[in-house]
Amino acid sequence: MKPERSIAPLFWLLFGAGGMLAALFGPALVILTGIMAPQGWGLPADFADYRRALAFTQHPLGKLVLLGVIALFFWHGAERIFLTLKDMRAGNLTVLRLLTYGVAALLSAATLALLLLIGF
Amino acid sequence: MSETPQAALAKTIELRVLRYCPSKDGEPSFGTFRVPYTDDMSVLQALQSVKAEQDGSLAFRWSCRMAVCGSCGMMINGTPKLACNTFLRELAPGPVTVEPLANFPIERDLVISVGEFVKKIESIHPYIIPKQPKRVEDGTYRQTPGQMAAYEPFSDCINCMLCYAACPQFGANPDFIGPAAMALLQRYNGDSRDGGQRQRLDQIHGENGVWSCTAVGECSEVCPKHVDPANAVNQNKSNSAFDFLLRFLRREDQP
Amino acid sequence: MSEQRPFRRPQPADWWARPPYLAYTLRELTGVAVALYGAILLAGLICLWLGPDAYAAYRQALASPWSLAVHGLLLAAVVWHAVTWFEILPKTMPRIILGGKALPQPAMTAVTTAFAAVCSIALIAFVVWWGRP
Repeated sequence: MKPERSIAPLFWLLFGAGGMLAALFGPALVILTGIMAPQGWGLPADFADYRRALAFTQHPLGKLVLLGVIALFFWHGAERIFLTLKDMRAGNLTVLRLLTYGVAALLSAATLALLLLIGF
Repeated sequence: MSETPQAALAKTIELRVLRYCPSKDGEPSFGTFRVPYTDDMSVLQALQSVKAEQDGSLAFRWSCRMAVCGSCGMMINGTPKLACNTFLRELAPGPVTVEPLANFPIERDLVISVGEFVKKIESIHPYIIPKQPKRVEDGTYRQTPGQMAAYEPFSDCINCMLCYAACPQFGANPDFIGPAAMALLQRYNGDSRDGGQRQRLDQIHGENGVWSCTAVGECSEVCPKHVDPANAVNQNKSNSAFDFLLRFLRREDQP
Repeated sequence: MSEQRPFRRPQPADWWARPPYLAYTLRELTGVAVALYGAILLAGLICLWLGPDAYAAYRQALASPWSLAVHGLLLAAVVWHAVTWFEILPKTMPRIILGGKALPQPAMTAVTTAFAAVCSIALIAFVVWWGRP
């Protein structure tokens, strides 16, 4: 008698992709966008100005990078937060899934929509 | 009763042992024993000393006294350990808290229920499923040292269940197939003689299979035989995930 | 046979906060930092879409001491994520047999962690080069 197949692999693969991306490039991304660019350390003060940011975001490769990083980071966080809340017995599992996976799905869709709305 | 000079100087250590007799007690409670000990004594020997000289009703499993049979697993100061392999000299001055293995129902004193664990072991086809039918006339299988190295550590499991006591996901979900059953599964899946990966994958692709595991890793930390069950469980997450994606590409008759 | 009445001890509700599980819980909580950083990027994307004024306000907020402190904490968490990620990584892989023996897991962790450091340094170097005046 075969046990029923779980859908968990889907979320695990998304968690893994996001986790690998965050492990390889996360530190650099946080340093670049959160410390160096805003403070003007190692980068010109106008590095992330409107013109440049718009150009990056309108470029197809820029869109791919932003969608990949933002969406995968949300899915990675969602899986870990869901499992931790489950460990802590924080509540009904369906509610916890909506609050984590549901929000990640929403925000991923929002990111895609914004990237398309911002144009090419 | 006269004492020899040696006995008068004997070190003693206090053991706090969780007791439970189903016909007498509503719930478990601690009993304490003071045990004379020498530096070479294990916790198992201390329990045997208690049973022989203080309370013959103390119930606990043991057999080989040398960490190969897997019988004497118990919680010693809150950590799953083999009692025969845990020494009083390292726990001195005590007190030493001895409890039955965590996450299992207590039958009596330090004896826990094993039946469900045995069913899990049996559920993963724990035998070589040959890739092709093989006649005796074809001779023996041959294996290189490298092929053996691929599965040998998983074959070292002595079924002591310390890994189940350490696993909080098994603690939360008693139906989780668990580390040792997965180690045995990988012992066969990784064996070059075996072709049963498909059947075993079907047993572990559910919520109570690999997907109850969250890679805590304590199972491998407490294993007295360095089996690394965490590796067995987590590498099969990859197998299960790829099977999840690629199953529609498989024909009905193909593994 | 004497009476059989197995007794189930309940799992402590706070098991995740006690050793040895606390380290595991802290490792999992680095996922919050990863998601939070994603949210900061999304906020920037929203402001960019809203227009130059909104985006200028976003940049100003990022330049504040508060933001610097938050990003410092996020950096620590993301680095901890990376370190613990490569500690678990060997567990998710089948044993690699080279020359008849299995590759030791600590060696795999050391190599992959070093590779990650190289990746991040390379990305910073590339962006600095791209942004040079």
